[in-house]
Amino acid sequence: MIYRIVHRTTYKYKNPVSVGNHVACLTPRSLPHHRLTRSELHIQPTPATRTERVDYFGNLLCFFTVQEPHKELVVEARSEVTMNGLSTPWPQESPAWEEIAGALPNDQSPAGLDAYQFGFESPRIRVRPEFASYALQSFTPGRPMPEALLDLTARIHRDFRFDSKVTNVRTPTEEVFRKRRGVCQDFAHLQIACLRSVNIAARYVSGYLRTYPPAGQPRLVGADASHAWVSAYCPGIGWLDMDPTNNVVPSDGHVTLAWGRDYGDVSPLRGLILGGGAHTLKVAVDMEPLDF
Amino acid sequence: MTVDLYQNPLRFGAAYDELSADGVTPRPHWKHLMDSLRAIGPEELERRWERAERRIRENGITYNIYSDPMGANRPWRIDIVPLLIPAEEWRYIEAGIIQRARLLSLILEDLYGPQELVAEGRFPAALLYANPAFLRPLVGVRVPAHSYLHMLAVDLARSRDGQWWVLADRTQAPSGSGYALENRTIVSDVLPDLFRTSNVLRLASFFRAQREALTSLAEGDNPRIVLLTPGPYNETYFEHSYIAKYLGFTLVEGADLTIRDRHVYLKTVDGLEQVDVILRRVDDSFCDPLELRGESLLGVPGLVDAIVAGNVKVANALGSGLIETAAIMPFLPGLSTHLLGEKLKLPSVATWWCGQSYALDWVLDHLDSVVVKPAFPSRGMEPVFGAELPQTEKSKFAEQLRARPHEYVAQEQIALSTAPVWDDGCLNSRSVVLRTYVLNTGREWIAIPGGLVRVAEAEGSVVSMQRGGHSKDAWVLWDGHVDTFSMLRPRSEPVELRRVSRVVPSSVADNVFWLGRYAERAENIARILRSMIPRVRRSEEAELACLVRLHGCMESRHSKLPKPKNRRPTSLELEQEMISMLTDARRPDSLACTLEEVSRVGGNVRERLSADMMFLIGRLRHSIQVEQGTQFLEYPTMLTACLELLSAFSGMERENINRGSGWLFLSIGRRLERAIYLTRQLREITTPLAEQDWSLLECLLEVADSSMTYRTRYYTTLQPLAVLDVLMADETNPRSLDFQLSHLLELYEKIPRYLSDDLQAMRDALALLRGFDLRELKYPLPGAATATNGSDGLSRLDRFLRELERLLPSWSNNLSSRYFSHARTLPISIGQ
Repeated sequence: MIYRIVHRTTYKYKNPVSVGNHVACLTPRSLPHHRLTRSELHIQPTPATRTERVDYFGNLLCFFTVQEPHKELVVEARSEVTMNGLSTPWPQESPAWEEIAGALPNDQSPAGLDAYQFGFESPRIRVRPEFASYALQSFTPGRPMPEALLDLTARIHRDFRFDSKVTNVRTPTEEVFRKRRGVCQDFAHLQIACLRSVNIAARYVSGYLRTYPPAGQPRLVGADASHAWVSAYCPGIGWLDMDPTNNVVPSDGHVTLAWGRDYGDVSPLRGLILGGGAHTLKVAVDMEPLDF
Repeated sequence: MTVDLYQNPLRFGAAYDELSADGVTPRPHWKHLMDSLRAIGPEELERRWERAERRIRENGITYNIYSDPMGANRPWRIDIVPLLIPAEEWRYIEAGIIQRARLLSLILEDLYGPQELVAEGRFPAALLYANPAFLRPLVGVRVPAHSYLHMLAVDLARSRDGQWWVLADRTQAPSGSGYALENRTIVSDVLPDLFRTSNVLRLASFFRAQREALTSLAEGDNPRIVLLTPGPYNETYFEHSYIAKYLGFTLVEGADLTIRDRHVYLKTVDGLEQVDVILRRVDDSFCDPLELRGESLLGVPGLVDAIVAGNVKVANALGSGLIETAAIMPFLPGLSTHLLGEKLKLPSVATWWCGQSYALDWVLDHLDSVVVKPAFPSRGMEPVFGAELPQTEKSKFAEQLRARPHEYVAQEQIALSTAPVWDDGCLNSRSVVLRTYVLNTGREWIAIPGGLVRVAEAEGSVVSMQRGGHSKDAWVLWDGHVDTFSMLRPRSEPVELRRVSRVVPSSVADNVFWLGRYAERAENIARILRSMIPRVRRSEEAELACLVRLHGCMESRHSKLPKPKNRRPTSLELEQEMISMLTDARRPDSLACTLEEVSRVGGNVRERLSADMMFLIGRLRHSIQVEQGTQFLEYPTMLTACLELLSAFSGMERENINRGSGWLFLSIGRRLERAIYLTRQLREITTPLAEQDWSLLECLLEVADSSMTYRTRYYTTLQPLAVLDVLMADETNPRSLDFQLSHLLELYEKIPRYLSDDLQAMRDALALLRGFDLRELKYPLPGAATATNGSDGLSRLDRFLRELERLLPSWSNNLSSRYFSHARTLPISIGQ
């Protein structure tokens, strides 16, 4: 299976922007279960400078600066990803979650050290007692880790309502927890906060999700959206992905763009502009499966 | 021999006393100082101390206290008795802090590089990963400059047994070296003989080395070095401007800089100028809102990328705040052996990082004897003194520690040593902490001989400048030759003669422009008030109306007088309004407030003004302070004193400032402001005056300091047209409108990239003004029929002045948007 993904972001400004400095995190990662076979980033107006850099987490970032006055910025990422089996298979059997959580601080292996950094608070995710007590209802004593993870995922899916009106990118996780509403980004943050509160390393995954049109209707171009889910670390097994928004274990419908400690590390496009005044933002994502 | 001036510490013996081992006899290295102080005597010492205090106030040496609403621009507080350090002891300290600097920079190099220390378990992974000061975008970037640390500050304290301990390391933007320098200047001035005869190690060569070190960071010759400050509201802003001035760097805020093509540029009135080296006083995570803290308005978007590209050097390197945490202290002895192959020379105060389970257990068992602090200070928790915690809170606090142990660090409390301070006529003892500085010159590490001594506010209290403590100088009493190099007299070096003046950042032009405007505004208000006050009481009804019109010339928007259309104010109301205009600092249009503004904008560019000018600005602020019971009729004398200072200021402006872009903007500001006021005043004449109003003419001449000129020409005849001639058309009178416009034109033509439309408008206005032939005008004489033929000319003149009243502020606004406003525009963050 091959996906052709087009992710188009359009900023329209009321007044001309004289300088805009931006970072894009829009190139999917190559992983054992999916390979990036093509990737292009088109920017209008043409930036004066443009450089690529791999960040601390291994994501490919593109830095660019538009130095000519402009009232519209269009960034279009076109990628082709070849799916190649499933992500890390979930094990049938596993030790109790406490054992796993307790082993990580002493794991000096490169993978263990790398995972350990996702166990702490990060700029957008605080660790709180209320998250811990919510998590502990799933993480009961002696429960195998995968089972507890799936239970927590299911509970978040059940207890929280998808609602794109109540939160924005800056809403703190505590508020999402109180309101019991939010979008995929909020649920991912919340689940990570719960996991870190019981000392499990968890990271934020940004990516795409294939959507299916209602039966009998054609696929709508551009109706897809960027998506976010969670990955938790199990020493000896690896990273296990889960999607609390849909209560599923990601498989061949999920394409990973990037991961980090929270949304702030991997936001698809951010920047600072001089001038501009009020602005509007439009994002269109299209994920088209190609069959050969 | 008894130490007669000296009060024993109240709890003598509880801590090490720097001055005396037994409370009676001074230690040998203090003897000379005590003898000298005794010889000077308490009265003379008190006089000298007061002189020093006055000098601090007048030089505007300040330290801002964040938490105190009145804390902005608090005078720096200094004690005149230095802390003495004998040579032998200094050698020990110096070796210790230099070793520490070498060690800390190697640790940083590893943590931002291969991270072997973490992989090998020598540095706890949690201390790296959980630390918000670990800036991931900087990992793997080529080692900046000579090392991550350009300068390191180490806080030292001495325990009861005489041992020095490290309390804290300041690794990212150490402050205080400028205050140390200023303290030295003041104390050596107060005690010149003692200083000369004590063979004290000098500070100047350290600062020269700092300038050379920063210069050598750039690749080319003559690099542009800027000092990046968070701005005038920062606690140590005075020091930023002081160091910038002393070292000859340009003082900038984040908004003064911009990134183009991965290089850093300074916005100047001449356009963009490339920046090679940034000495920063902005905390690292605030330096780049694009890659670090998104909400920061203090930084420069894209700075990290410019660093990655190798196009700018930042000192201290971004990310060096990582090891400012006390939590690393327990690991330093081991890291020193591993990285340097040396034993750690200077011990840190006993510290437990709770992230280690045995340390946590120990801390919980000994809570009463430690102070618990956040391991990552940005989390904003106040230190908790275990012994002061109520029993009921203790178990809750222990729970908190157990839940997130890696976020806490506990330290033993040291009984700080005490040193003598001059306090109300005698010497008292106070706890002290010594902040020392180490600099990387690229070839070696060197230490400031001495440093900044911080003194506790009261006996036994916490030492903190933020909590209102003060400071003293530290003298290293050397046993060898002392280098008396001064910053301004480098010896035997060939000098390359230069005529280039410093660039003028847009924000500086902005401030000096307003300095010119406010200084002129203050002068105008003072002149009008001085003219009005003596007249208010002796005026009859008719004359009072003139004074109200004169008051109107100040365009005071916050006037407390009744609206003219309602009724005429009484002389008492006018009197109160005068007092309010003069002294009410809460009124933006008052003289008091205008002088505050002079001081504020002057303070923003203090590194560009001579010490004498800053001194004048300081005195100006205090020149109109009214004491209780000041009589109304004493005000004119006070205003005269204020006007004298303002004249001295404008004299310096003319005679003491290089004719660079900065001066141009200052003078343009002054001309524009004077033209604005003058036009307003002239309109009082072009709106035909009734006979009873003619005494207004006298006032206007007085305000424009032109009574003499007038009298020489016209004796005692008061004629509106003659007054108009003197105040408007006479191009030889520096207070005439013609003079303002022609000089404005001349200055405006010289600024780079001027607006040609405005230049043309200025030319047109001047030509129009000169086109009026006052001899042809007929002024409606009192008693004559009002609408004579010639009044046509008069109304044309009035229309012209009205048009000018519109044009003048528009030129000011255009100037502002062309040269300054982009320096005030802050970037807006956008994201999905």
